[in-house]
Amino acid sequence: MVEAGAPEAMSISERITEAISIKTVFTIRAFGLAIPISDTILASWIIMAVLFLASWLLTRRLKEIPTRAQTLVEGLVGFINDFAEENLGHHGKHFAAFLGTIFIFLIAANLAPLFTPVGGFGYEPPFIIRPLTRDINITAGFAVCVIVTVFVSGLVIKGPAGFAKSLVSPMAFMLPFKLMEYIIKPVSLALRLFGNILGAFIIMQLIEAAMPVVLPPILAMYFDLFDGLIQAVVFAFLSTVYVAEAIE
Amino acid sequence: MNPQAAALIGAAIAVVTGLGAGIGIGIATGKTSEAIARQPEASGKIQGAFLIGIALAEATAIYGLVVSLLLLFK
Repeated sequence: MVEAGAPEAMSISERITEAISIKTVFTIRAFGLAIPISDTILASWIIMAVLFLASWLLTRRLKEIPTRAQTLVEGLVGFINDFAEENLGHHGKHFAAFLGTIFIFLIAANLAPLFTPVGGFGYEPPFIIRPLTRDINITAGFAVCVIVTVFVSGLVIKGPAGFAKSLVSPMAFMLPFKLMEYIIKPVSLALRLFGNILGAFIIMQLIEAAMPVVLPPILAMYFDLFDGLIQAVVFAFLSTVYVAEAIE
Repeated sequence: MNPQAAALIGAAIAVVTGLGAGIGIGIATGKTSEAIARQPEASGKIQGAFLIGIALAEATAIYGLVVSLLLLFK
């Protein structure tokens, strides 16, 4: 945002600091608490609403002979179910919904910036969507969900005794390492997604500052589209592997 | 040396972690293509192992990035 009268007042580092900073949109006051709602939280609510509406509309009138939209949805759900069953065996159907939700939400979250209206020729876009996984709080939330699922599923499926046994197998001195895994896994999951998206975002900002035409759309194919997709896949895949490790 | 300059140098050094990730992902990709060329029917399983491998190899570079960001925007 260049102010009138001071064109190009922002240096590149100021621009990037502005772009990666997370702004508070509004504050909810409830129960004597002031809860600040950041732009990433707002964006994630919007994505949730869109996904919820889409899944409700697409599954409202299922037919024996599928329509075109139903075929797409059936393909996606079938893919997720097959993926879960392949990695988790007969427990797959219990986890397919959770893993599929993470997968679809992260794809939506990473690809959301592509829906920013295009500005230019003196037209300022009314809003700019920045990748919401540049906020470590969003990715950390997902990582906590995953590790709680891993812990609870291990406890329920193996039983308390089996779970305790798995902590000291193959040898008793493995216990501290097994316990440490419950910290390291979510931290690395959260940091991987956050770091990748933020890194790609900063690189795109640098490229746009250096050369605003021609180059950004080409490189955005890699940094925004490909990287976002791959990271969503990696996150969902690693969650599946962690769950599989916990329940076998 | 003032602390700001030291932090900037530290941030630059932290990004050198990318070296290890680059080598690791390069080796993993090369071996994956070799494995798929040898056994194309197992490509699904190979790709799964490959994805985990690059995700773990990449983690070091991400930690470097996070450390350098912490130093830059502290």
